[in-house]
Amino acid sequence: MEAISVVITNLPFLLLGAWDTLKLTFFSVLIGLVLGTFIGMGRLSKIKVINIPSTVYVEFLRGTPLLVQISIVYFGLPQLGIQLQAYPAAIVALGLNSGAYIAEIVRAGIQSIPKGQYEAARSLGLTHWQAMRYIILPQAFKNILPALGNEFITLTKDSSLASVIGVTELMRRGQFVITRTFQTFSIYFGIALIYFVMTFTISRIVRYVEKRMAVA
Amino acid sequence: MNKILEVKNLHKSFGRLEVLKGINLEIFQGETIVIIGPSGGGKSTFLRCINHLEDYQSGEIIFLGKKIDKHTSNLNEIRTKIGMVFQHFNLFPHMSVLENLILAPTKVKKISKEEAVQKAKVILERVGLIEKINAYPDNLSGGQKQRVAIARALMMEPVLMLFDEPTSALDPELVGEVLEVMKDLAKSGMTMIVVTHEMGFAKEVADRIIFIDKGVVAEEGSPEEIMKNPKNERTKSFLRHIL
Repeated sequence: MEAISVVITNLPFLLLGAWDTLKLTFFSVLIGLVLGTFIGMGRLSKIKVINIPSTVYVEFLRGTPLLVQISIVYFGLPQLGIQLQAYPAAIVALGLNSGAYIAEIVRAGIQSIPKGQYEAARSLGLTHWQAMRYIILPQAFKNILPALGNEFITLTKDSSLASVIGVTELMRRGQFVITRTFQTFSIYFGIALIYFVMTFTISRIVRYVEKRMAVA
Repeated sequence: MNKILEVKNLHKSFGRLEVLKGINLEIFQGETIVIIGPSGGGKSTFLRCINHLEDYQSGEIIFLGKKIDKHTSNLNEIRTKIGMVFQHFNLFPHMSVLENLILAPTKVKKISKEEAVQKAKVILERVGLIEKINAYPDNLSGGQKQRVAIARALMMEPVLMLFDEPTSALDPELVGEVLEVMKDLAKSGMTMIVVTHEMGFAKEVADRIIFIDKGVVAEEGSPEEIMKNPKNERTKSFLRHIL
């Protein structure tokens, strides 16, 4: 019984961490979305100076561990004179990382739209950017919503890696409680449950939005 | 008469495959030209070169006295003057009929939304679809979709209209309503180039029929000449197959 009461008494402390996890994820997703949209389009560009860097970016960030990327941003950059606090460093690293994954999702989404849509837009005199903005991307985003939802969930879980650089998100706060109470199983399990509640909620929200957009 | 379009010795290849091997064509204001020919003969590619959806290797395309090629800087402005209707309609499915119509006028020509809506109503009336103004493309029949697509092109007040097999994807009973709209348009003085297999339409509205085969204009003449006395063996055999 002590195991359960430890979780309950420390719940407010842990929930503050969960709130930080959510904020961390939210800002990272925001960066990832903007970055991913442009890089995803860049991956499809016929212009080499746009296409090649986009491809290199995606391959490199997908091909290296997130833990290493976080370490580079937080521990490595200061040696180059760029000093970031733990929290912004985590947002930058997570955002850059998810940008690579979202870029691939966006690329697939754009490719899922029939070529005739782009041609019809251009034949009416729209520029490449206007065709993307008004015709291709709105349809693409509708198609990739499930994949984006997946990415949000992955990012929520991966944000726990920010604990290694001292961001006091959920995981880090759990470890604090454990050093005080030595209740490893119940605290880690309690944390797992809180993560699950967050990811499950996100997946429900995404599904709701998906349904609403299917109607429109 | 005013010359709208002139194509000189147009060559176009996809990789090593040469699709157009020297096409020549002149079209004057108010003319309707019907292009016929076997599939794979280069008809669609030819149309798509005119508004530069496809680049080409050599030759010239001159529209209203200006060359259209990959160096043309005001391509988007020129495209507003060349309407295009596709075989598969290509309506924007996430927009209503009205939104499909007013998008380009408001975003490209920058006319006000009120003005665009007014105009859309007039044009929808003309193609007989005013009651579908708030419908979405998914809820329209193929014939209605194609009429909306024509209306969308007309919104830009084009000087030239290109039709790329506009009735080929339609159920037979829906072909007539689309051809009616096209006939009206031709009679109202619109300059049109139509790729189609509808010989009845060609006979009624075409000023000239052009038979494109194996990348060249194999024969050209009035509907009478082409349909009654084709000179070319390939034209003869083609007409035998489709009539």
